Amino acid sequence: MQDGVVLTTVDDFLNWGRKNSLWPMTFGLACCAIEMMATGASKYDLERFGCGAFMATPRRADMMIVAGTVTLKMATRVKVLYEQMAEPKYVISMGSCANKGGPYWQHGYHVLNGVDEVVPVDVYVPGCPPRPESLIEGVMTLQKKIANERLLRNKWVKHA
Amino acid sequence: MHNVDLNQLASLINKNVNGANATAHVPEDKKLDGSITVETSHVAKVCEWLRGNSEIPFNALQSISGVDYMEWMEVCYMFAHFDVAAPRELILKVKLTDRVNPNVDSIMKTYPAADFQERECYDMFGIKFNNHKDLRRILCPDDWKGWPLRKDYVAEKTYNGMDIYPDNKMNYEDRDYIVRQAMIKKAQETKAQ
Repeated sequence: MQDGVVLTTVDDFLNWGRKNSLWPMTFGLACCAIEMMATGASKYDLERFGCGAFMATPRRADMMIVAGTVTLKMATRVKVLYEQMAEPKYVISMGSCANKGGPYWQHGYHVLNGVDEVVPVDVYVPGCPPRPESLIEGVMTLQKKIANERLLRNKWVKHA
Repeated sequence: MHNVDLNQLASLINKNVNGANATAHVPEDKKLDGSITVETSHVAKVCEWLRGNSEIPFNALQSISGVDYMEWMEVCYMFAHFDVAAPRELILKVKLTDRVNPNVDSIMKTYPAADFQERECYDMFGIKFNNHKDLRRILCPDDWKGWPLRKDYVAEKTYNGMDIYPDNKMNYEDRDYIVRQAMIKKAQETKAQ
């Protein structure tokens, strides 16, 4: 019991650090990526939340923002990029196309109906494309999720 | 099209390229675009003449597009001449009657810009361009089956183990509703006539 209390506090400390330095991957697929860039730029300033450092490699990134239409050609590459990221890793699906196929949902022959077919998604951001405020809301939702995680107790100690 | 007398140009092509059999289509409505149709086997020679002649030259290729008419196929070339004094445009068409194995000569030698345009046309319609140096798909993956913009194309169910139309995500009722409404509208229209 005593150990549990100590680990919870350490967990909280680690989570506080992790949630305030979420580094996304530099990765855009379509027009949603333009909104993602606007979110990262000076007016909306994603750096306020500690996730403005867009990493140029999946190895250094904690979070993948799937911004845009996931075509079947790209889906395999998205999966490879996700597998290259180091644990713990998170995925934000941004925009209607990445959520469920968007306008290509019923009659598109070349579009994957939602990126959750290939990678697990943590937060869905609706919109076509979502405004920067929506993406910030999505990032904050993900931060809340991370704050409530018990990584140390549930994963590392349990499987030690 | 703009600033081109199509009848005059067609007769010029016939005069300078043997067997080109150019015919001009000038629509009565001035808002619509006219075009020139030439013999499929002579399109490379016609393009060579179009670029190099001194009377009505065209120095740029704007686009190449394919059209599927079910019974036959067409390739449309859009040329332009970028000149401040006399800018002009032209639509050149060739008709491909063989729909199973359509092929036409590449115009890459005369207009290098045709490279990607012809690859896209091949990707979407399966039209083979003879003498093209690197004819492969440009947009679809290399292992893609079928020609997507053909009228009789049926979308695949799976690709590389991925479901294209997952059952839990499709709203077949909605799709049927749209089809049903279209049928009702069509029936009402024919009844009114």
